[in-house]
Amino acid sequence: MKVKEIMKKEVISVRPTDSVLDVLNLLLKMEISGLPVIDEEAKLVGMFTEKDIISHILPSYIQNVGRFIYEENPKATKIKLAGLNNIKVSQLMRKEVITTTEDTTLCEVARIMLTNKARRLPVVDKSGKVVGIVARGDVLKAFAKEIENPR
Amino acid sequence: MFKKFIILIGISLGLGILVKQIGMTSHQALAISIFCVSVLGTLFFWNFRLSFVFLGTSILLITRTIDLENVIKFASLDVILFLVGMMVLVGLMKEAGFFAWIVGLILRIRNLTANKFLISISIISALLACAVDEVTSIIFIVAAIFEICDYFEVDPTPFLIISVMATNIGSSGTVLGNPIGILIASKSGLTFEDFITKAFPVMLLCLAVMLVIVRLWYRKTLAGLEHKMKELGYNEILVKLISVPPEKNLKISLGIFGVTLFFIALHHRLELLWGLEPNTILLTMPLLSSGAVMIWKWRKARDYIEKDVEWWTLLFFMLLFAQAGALKYTGVTDVLAKNLAGLAGNSLSFLIGIVLWVSTIGSSILDNVVLVAAFIPVIQSFQSLNLNLRPLWWALLFGGCLGGNITMVGSTANIVALGILEKEKNIRMTFFRWFWIGLTVGVVTTVVVWAALTNLPFYK
Repeated sequence: MKVKEIMKKEVISVRPTDSVLDVLNLLLKMEISGLPVIDEEAKLVGMFTEKDIISHILPSYIQNVGRFIYEENPKATKIKLAGLNNIKVSQLMRKEVITTTEDTTLCEVARIMLTNKARRLPVVDKSGKVVGIVARGDVLKAFAKEIENPR
Repeated sequence: MFKKFIILIGISLGLGILVKQIGMTSHQALAISIFCVSVLGTLFFWNFRLSFVFLGTSILLITRTIDLENVIKFASLDVILFLVGMMVLVGLMKEAGFFAWIVGLILRIRNLTANKFLISISIISALLACAVDEVTSIIFIVAAIFEICDYFEVDPTPFLIISVMATNIGSSGTVLGNPIGILIASKSGLTFEDFITKAFPVMLLCLAVMLVIVRLWYRKTLAGLEHKMKELGYNEILVKLISVPPEKNLKISLGIFGVTLFFIALHHRLELLWGLEPNTILLTMPLLSSGAVMIWKWRKARDYIEKDVEWWTLLFFMLLFAQAGALKYTGVTDVLAKNLAGLAGNSLSFLIGIVLWVSTIGSSILDNVVLVAAFIPVIQSFQSLNLNLRPLWWALLFGGCLGGNITMVGSTANIVALGILEKEKNIRMTFFRWFWIGLTVGVVTTVVVWAALTNLPFYK
């Protein structure tokens, strides 16, 4: 089985110039954790996930300060939350994105997801245009199908 | 990028040809050129510094400028292992919540006033930098400063500059504050006690001088903070903003760290008592403690070694030390030492001035470890000229630490703190915003050290 057989072809994507607040609402509405970011030519320029928003809201040094408990929300967090509308997706998105292609095999795409800790991979063509998206769920569904219909 | 590379190669090659012309051997010229590449590499291509020293040291070996045995000897494994041990311990303390507890301590200062804030962040910055490395300590101080400045709605930049300067000054107070401290201690035979009795008081004096200068320099900022504090009232939210779980882990970790510091502090006496080689206890104590930690926390032992130990930096240090060793091995530093002593007319006071000011100015631009690594063999070479080396070691230590205050890229603590400022507050430091206050504090504190080293018989 190949990626083109399991991927979703209707890809919902966002633009680098979109506001983070709008995209946050979109993520919540669609109940997904991340979306690909594409430019005017539909080429992939990044990946924007809920993790990017959370790491923006918390102080950047948070992973270096060790163990403690926030008993209150710091003022800086409130300021950052209020400013989400003024921040563009391009400022927070991850620019180095792991991708896959339509002809990649099921096990290979599963391997890429596992080794890169990726939940979903954009599927791109040779020119870098996004032609689909494949999520962990799609891979699992394909595996489940193979259990039902072993060749 | 290409232009910088051409400049780097041009200067290094030019320097090599020049010293060859004035009578040095090919090996000496090559050792100088390659060291020059590494130094300029840290200046122009910071992210490539490790590749530069890998390549350079390999060339030194292939061309027989230095042999393998001496590369290993000069790489100073003792210093590296000490730093590995300390990094593991700091990783443990971090995880146990020790540093968050320090941040909480600052946030909980009762009846905070602008002056109280200024003095406490300066003293805590300096003392924390004495106990752990300056890069770790600055992150926590900056975290505390941001919380307080956010709460009172003032610009954190001046306070960040002040805390970084206090951190750089503080890092000269003990062997633990700065990698150059342990490097100097291991090469000079100076003990922890020497640092506490000779360097620590001068460090406190410099800190006091810095406080006076910044108090005047930032008087308007302080008045603004004072006004905001009165307007917004007592910092109830800050007091309970963060807490550290009072767990057994924190107590045990503090115990281990305390015992380590205790033995490090007494290392010289214990070495005499047990007939051990100088610095044996100083260098092995962090290893003993971190070894015990890795048994206690065996599930995380690999994380401590892989995540908390900065191998990138340590490998760079090792090979840089080896390259500086090649300067000594080929006799370059002997020539340099002879000429410097000649220039100073064999006057120790004059020589102290040269070492102090060259290392101050040098470390304002270069990484202080690079500078100190180059200077150590020169100072060792003064020994053959029958000069008293002790004041020169102190001059090197203070120059290397205090020079870091002069420019915004003067020390790693500056770079780390300014990186956080830019990321968190979107405030980009400009060269001159830092430079004028940095230069004032840097020069005045160096003058204080100069006066102490040349006038007090204590240091002779």
